[in-house]
Amino acid sequence: MEVSFRKEIANLKLGAGSTFRGEGILAVTKALLQSGVGYVGGYQGAPVSHLLDVLLQSEDILTELGIHLQTCTNEAAAAALLAASINYPVRGAVTWKSIVGTNVAADALSNLASAGVIGGALIVVGEDYGEGASVIQERTHAFALKSSVWLLDPRPDLPTIVRMVEKGFELSEATNTPVILELRIRACHVYGSFDAKDNVAAKVSTNARLAAPATFDYAKLSHPPVTFNQEIDKITRRRPLAEQFILDHNLNDLLGPADGDIGIIVQGGLFNVLNDRLAHAGLSDIYGNTKVPTLILNVTNPLSSRQITDFCAGKKAVLVVEEGAPDFLEQAIGQILRKADLQTKLHGKDCLPMAGEYTPLVMADGLAKFFKASAQTANPAAIVSSPVLPEASTQKRLGEGQGGGAVAASDQLARAADLLTAWLTEHKTRVAQVAAALKTPLPARPPTFCTGCPERPVFSAMKILRQETGAVHVAADIGCHAFGTFAPFSQGNSILGYGMSLASAAAVSSVQQKRPVSIMGDGGFWHNGLLSGVASAAFNKDDGVLIIMNNGYSSATGTQDLPSSRPNDEGRGKGIEIERSLRALGLGWIRRVRTYGVGDVKRLLEAALTSKEKGLKVIIADGECQLARQRRVRPAMASAVAAGKRVVRQRFWIDPEVCTGDRSCIRLSGCPSLTVKPSEDPLRTDPIAHVNSDCVGCGLCGEIAHAAQLCPSFARIDIIQNPGPIDRWKHATSRALMRLFGVERAPKQTTAESVGAAL
Amino acid sequence: MNAMNPIPPPAGPGPGPQPFRLLIAALGGEGGGVLAGWITEAALASGLVASRTSIPGVAQRTGATTYYLEMVAAQPGMLSPVLALNPAPGQLDVLLASELLEATRLASAGMIAPSRTTLIANTARVYTMDEKMAMTDGRIDTARLISALKSAANRTILADFNSAATAAQAPLSAVLLGALAASRTLPIADDALRDAIRREGKTVSANLAGFEAGLKTVAQQSTPASAPTMAGLVPQARVAAPAEFTARTSVVAAEGVARLTDYQSAAYAERYLATLRRFSVLPGMDDAALAELARHLAVRMSVEDVTRVAQLKLRETRIARVNAEAKARPGDIVDITEFMKPGMDEILGMFPPFLARPSIRLTNRFGLSKAAIPLTVTTTRLWGFLRLKFLASLRGWRPHTNKFHEEQIWLARWLALVETTLKRDPRAAREVITTAKLVRGYGDTYRRGLENWDRIATSLIEPALASSPPENFAEQILQARLAAEKDPEGQALNATLAAIQRAQTATFQTAQ
Repeated sequence: MEVSFRKEIANLKLGAGSTFRGEGILAVTKALLQSGVGYVGGYQGAPVSHLLDVLLQSEDILTELGIHLQTCTNEAAAAALLAASINYPVRGAVTWKSIVGTNVAADALSNLASAGVIGGALIVVGEDYGEGASVIQERTHAFALKSSVWLLDPRPDLPTIVRMVEKGFELSEATNTPVILELRIRACHVYGSFDAKDNVAAKVSTNARLAAPATFDYAKLSHPPVTFNQEIDKITRRRPLAEQFILDHNLNDLLGPADGDIGIIVQGGLFNVLNDRLAHAGLSDIYGNTKVPTLILNVTNPLSSRQITDFCAGKKAVLVVEEGAPDFLEQAIGQILRKADLQTKLHGKDCLPMAGEYTPLVMADGLAKFFKASAQTANPAAIVSSPVLPEASTQKRLGEGQGGGAVAASDQLARAADLLTAWLTEHKTRVAQVAAALKTPLPARPPTFCTGCPERPVFSAMKILRQETGAVHVAADIGCHAFGTFAPFSQGNSILGYGMSLASAAAVSSVQQKRPVSIMGDGGFWHNGLLSGVASAAFNKDDGVLIIMNNGYSSATGTQDLPSSRPNDEGRGKGIEIERSLRALGLGWIRRVRTYGVGDVKRLLEAALTSKEKGLKVIIADGECQLARQRRVRPAMASAVAAGKRVVRQRFWIDPEVCTGDRSCIRLSGCPSLTVKPSEDPLRTDPIAHVNSDCVGCGLCGEIAHAAQLCPSFARIDIIQNPGPIDRWKHATSRALMRLFGVERAPKQTTAESVGAAL
Repeated sequence: MNAMNPIPPPAGPGPGPQPFRLLIAALGGEGGGVLAGWITEAALASGLVASRTSIPGVAQRTGATTYYLEMVAAQPGMLSPVLALNPAPGQLDVLLASELLEATRLASAGMIAPSRTTLIANTARVYTMDEKMAMTDGRIDTARLISALKSAANRTILADFNSAATAAQAPLSAVLLGALAASRTLPIADDALRDAIRREGKTVSANLAGFEAGLKTVAQQSTPASAPTMAGLVPQARVAAPAEFTARTSVVAAEGVARLTDYQSAAYAERYLATLRRFSVLPGMDDAALAELARHLAVRMSVEDVTRVAQLKLRETRIARVNAEAKARPGDIVDITEFMKPGMDEILGMFPPFLARPSIRLTNRFGLSKAAIPLTVTTTRLWGFLRLKFLASLRGWRPHTNKFHEEQIWLARWLALVETTLKRDPRAAREVITTAKLVRGYGDTYRRGLENWDRIATSLIEPALASSPPENFAEQILQARLAAEKDPEGQALNATLAAIQRAQTATFQTAQ
């Protein structure tokens, strides 16, 4: 079951005169509707999942505006979707998580970019970089450069983001080039507002279909010989057009005084961090009234050579604030300056680090270095007043008003550097003081499987088996099951991408005596695993074991439906059977198991590892995503109880008198609701295991206690709510008979504290 | 109460107004997003300009995450401030943390400043995996976290907001909102926060109750608490304490006597006391060591065999406690189903040695030593009850069982080691006593504990006693025990024992 987005959908219907309030990624969605988009598609992934999730539930909007919505099975399919804009004057937008999604999409993206578009084509990528990111740290910028695709990196405020979506379509159409709009994690989740406009219906849409297909035009094919012309067209026609468009429409923001000895060129997405530190250094305020001339690149590819030379001319030094490696912008700006024979000193990665996120600390350190270096060369004259550059007028409120338009002088720069350095020193002192008080480092808290997750039991079974028969090579994959790489399971030798586990184990199996085990989710299976993994393994007769976690959703990205999801009223699942598709590939050894049966999973895994049968052996581990299940079951149960119906609720419990506190159970389960508490036994000092009230009664505790022959401390509690007369009679009779035989009485106890004090 | 708090004066050296900066630290799934949403809504409704962002990612799955908010008074003609998306360390006005360790994590990243930040933190802990999975007590010392926090912040409001939430039957996020309001740091009136809860429209009454609970918890905290009673700390045995020991030992011994009488009989408990008496007069036996011996001896003499487990599971008091735990309403029927899987050694252990020993040899030969019978027994129903009742009734038979017999052999060996060590090195004797804690649990855990203890006894304690114990004998035993408690695979123990051996050989060679 997917999350409900009723409130967000109401936001998408706002018209001119109302104010949209919400998160960045939903502002993008609204901007698409305002831009007259004809089709939308993509593949889910944080931080851009919501764009699709919300539209999926907005059937009325889609119908009214005639928008086609495609739930793509991977990013390559999403990029290929944009092909509609090659031949037809229809605007399309797709979205995915980058860098990984862009990697998958690369083939289609190159072909799309080469042919070019006549309808605006926008790719909204979540630049999953820095704190909170879950993928390898690379830049989407590289793809934009190599394919000559334009890259927007807007300032993270909603009006700018929305404007960039709208202008992005125009830019795409004006230059026949697809445009990528990248938003970092914090920008996707930034809450803000903008003045809404009416939604616009596309001229060509599902409501207004074209009577005939496009006429045959070989020039629209990414196929030789026209590919050679297309390459030249990108450079000689499309790029100059784009540079001109950027200038004509003031896509980049120019802030601060018109003159000054130094300047800063910053990626739009980093402006807020930059301004915050400039304000701390006394060189700006919270309205962006910077005293240092600043060029904010809301478009980071292409750069307008003219804009760069205009900005740098007359300045002694500029700092390029560009996050991540390689330093594409700095290299390009350096080349522009050199060719224009400008002697402006270029700073960038000499002050700021080449790799890693530009946090406030990193930014402050870089600025301090830049200001210190510049203070010696900058104009020692007093502060001069100077008007704000006309270009800044595109964003009326930003940078206008008090304080703006004063050039920073050299003594001011020196003071700014001192302020930032002092702040960094204070920070170091605070960190050292807390560390001294703590004495020990703090344990990390990585994410883990949810309480009651159906994937946890598989890793429990694998760990029990590992304890009994030794380790095997485990090829891990992308998805919630990647949490199996964390404690207490610590399973997994490599991660090679989404749906790539089986493919990544292909050569491993030939150098191992034991068969490797590959883990894949149903999400990964449909994304890539079926072809890259299973078909290839079947074709090559690879001898390995594949576990497919069939939890029914793409859970890690927000429980979106998959081709194999159960078809139901709310969802889009088609119930396409994983098992049948495996059989169609000629695989023979396929077993299904309910994941919570830890003993069964273990036995099957053992059988797969030791079977005499050659070839791929697949275990389909069935268990519905508990997050989705609870979202459905909990309200249903609550209303049944309220209606007076008989409902049995289950949860687990650990008998505190029987638990001896060795916590083997925790090392095999890792469930968030399985925790520790002080022992009540006055003679035992170590804490004992304890199931807290978050328990959803999945039964894993009991299964582990049995499968690993742990201890008799676990008990299941069945709570019969609104019991019927038969329930009550059976219960009363049992109680009465039991009383006849007598119950056990506990001895009087001293308190644990008193014994603790004695010891 | 509802007075607006002014926006704080500029704290940074920069010109112009400064935003109010609030960082929320939470764990995924705790409602941190909802909490941040309420505050944002209330700020906007109060005419402030507010910005908020978060890095939720996969934090839904109980990982640590943060939400950052900035708000500033709206100024005519200056509608669009550039609010930072990242919290700048040391410049927070408030850090609101749903969990103590996460508060400390941000403090140790330098986020809070003694000159500026008000810290509001829940003192309830959600333990990390590292803390939970440790073989011994892996929990971080809460007192140390609190003292580090107190010196790191300008003002601290620390309370167990989990208890407040449970008492109010409200979500923690709503209680934390109340606590934030009570701190009087927020430039937002309480009613605006209440309205934000109402406007959000989900479980409004529970959330409002939580909000009030949060307000109340903090208000009560600021009035000086009544002096803590010492009742819980002073040894006060309710079981008659044996008079012959000091107060310290007698509390433990009294508990041991009660436990062993319940476990077996008064006569059995008397044997326990007799052993303690004998050790109490041995030269070198101090009070602390005797109390420690009294504790371990009682635990080891009441080993959890099948009969004991059955006895504990039939306790009358269990039902009431389970009902409370399960949050059962009056009229609900609660059943308890036990998961038990007695292994071959536990089942055969109930037979007398002359039968059990050959049977165990036989099962070992046929590879059945790991065989076990999985049972699910509903003890709240007659049939399950009777089965356990039968097992519990075997108490009289216990002294004849193989399991009991083997325990006695182990006890004798352990006590003999303690006694011998006392004569040679009283300091080390205390460590020998404590090694008993390695043997505990059930099934594999029990076997592993026994094996580890046996290795320490055989390869470290006994050889040393046979020759002359080294100067650091106590330290060696301690190190070996800690190593045995480090990992379940026994790798640390292997390494430690090998290192001790190497050191000894080296000393021996130097001596030669």
